[in-house]
Amino acid sequence: MNELFPLLSFLVFPGGIFVLASGLVYEWTDRKLVARMQNRIGPRWFQPLADVVKLLAKEEVVPAGVNRSMFLAFPVVALAAALTAALYVPMAGFSPSFSFRGDLIVTVYLLSLLTLCIGLAGANTADRFSIIGATRTLTQLFSYEAPFLLALLGPAIVAGTWQISEIAGYAHNHWLILTQPIGFVVAIIGLMGKLELPPFDAPEAETEIVSGALTEYSGRGLALFRIGKDAELVIGLTLVAAFYLGGLSNPLEFLLKTGGLLLVVAGLQSLFARLRIDQVVGLWWRVGALLALLQLLVLVVLQGMGI
Amino acid sequence: MDMKLTHPWEEAVDEIRRWARINSPWAIHFNSGSCNGCDIEILATITPRYDLERFGIKLQGSPRHADVMICTGPVTRQARERLVRIYEQMPDPKFVVAVGSCAISGGAFRGCYNVEGGIDQVIPVNMYVPGCPPRPEAIIYGVVQLLQSLKPESQKG
Ligand code: SF4
Repeated sequence: MNELFPLLSFLVFPGGIFVLASGLVYEWTDRKLVARMQNRIGPRWFQPLADVVKLLAKEEVVPAGVNRSMFLAFPVVALAAALTAALYVPMAGFSPSFSFRGDLIVTVYLLSLLTLCIGLAGANTADRFSIIGATRTLTQLFSYEAPFLLALLGPAIVAGTWQISEIAGYAHNHWLILTQPIGFVVAIIGLMGKLELPPFDAPEAETEIVSGALTEYSGRGLALFRIGKDAELVIGLTLVAAFYLGGLSNPLEFLLKTGGLLLVVAGLQSLFARLRIDQVVGLWWRVGALLALLQLLVLVVLQGMGI
Repeated sequence: MDMKLTHPWEEAVDEIRRWARINSPWAIHFNSGSCNGCDIEILATITPRYDLERFGIKLQGSPRHADVMICTGPVTRQARERLVRIYEQMPDPKFVVAVGSCAISGGAFRGCYNVEGGIDQVIPVNMYVPGCPPRPEAIIYGVVQLLQSLKPESQKG
């Protein structure tokens, strides 16, 4: 039984099937909300599933001029990293299946691995659009990653621990969105940058550079990257909800809080037009990072004064 | 489709594949020499008013991501090579819809010194949408008919 447990938690719950299924559901909700805000009817409920199955059943073209094994490995690594990250966050309101001191940092890096894989996959192909897309993906990674981490550090500092389950336990009694509003805003916008959602979709701007880093991917590779992104959406929403919105103690609370966050994200997506890549970097480093640092400073000072 | 499937599970997998294919056609738009009338109608088709996302149709930028190529205009000698190349860049299974009279036969440009003729002179076409230019409703109807033709009932007949 003891050997079976890690396997089960990786393949079924909270990793594996559960994250994949909820990822598809959240993607549909997001697309439907955006469609309704644009006065459209929007996709049918099984749309993301149909997309993924169709992509899996399609031919996978390995273009000329790429390193074949790397081309095939990147999507797998990306999805595996996203699924592993699910093991350390309080999915569906249950306590994380694995937990150790400092797992917050590990989770944040596992989540960045997906973006890194997309960037490297783009740089691996010889296509000019992929290479521009890869440059933009990696530039954006370097711009949002630091503020996002700083925003997640705020709750970690007040809770006095780097362990996700303990921070979530602390946040359960404190609605940190009230005491750390800047951190919340930076975290939610950082999540949108991570997922390359509309105001930050310069890396895959289809009007300029076709589909960015994933231009050359077809079939299975594209499908795995898409599911990986969906999984990251769920994990990111869970993390932000657990830290800032008073913790997640049961599945109902999980649904309500992450659903509310998704509504905010969908609203922001339809409100703003795409930012240029230099505007993205400027926004994050001039505004996001500074504000997050400022709040961190205040927190540290207050903590030092013993309040 | 004269392939024989022996196991019931193979048929089930095939059924799922077909279902996914019908419900998620991603399109790419290629203009091989049209007067732009048809292209404007295609752009009108993907606006929120007609909302193609209802059928799962999504306009993609990259031929590698696309299942359906929507072609407009006659094939000019200059565009011919690009058309074939983009068609070959699409992964299987792939479908082609010819939109407008020019794409069907050369239309207004038929017989010009620089025109090869309709799209089907160069690549296989699965569905023709006539009109000069066709209305967005007609384009949607054409694509939906193409998807319907993938269902097994219509393949027997
Ligand atoms: S069918 Fe009519 S509108 Fe379309 S390309 Fe030909 S001339 Fe232009």
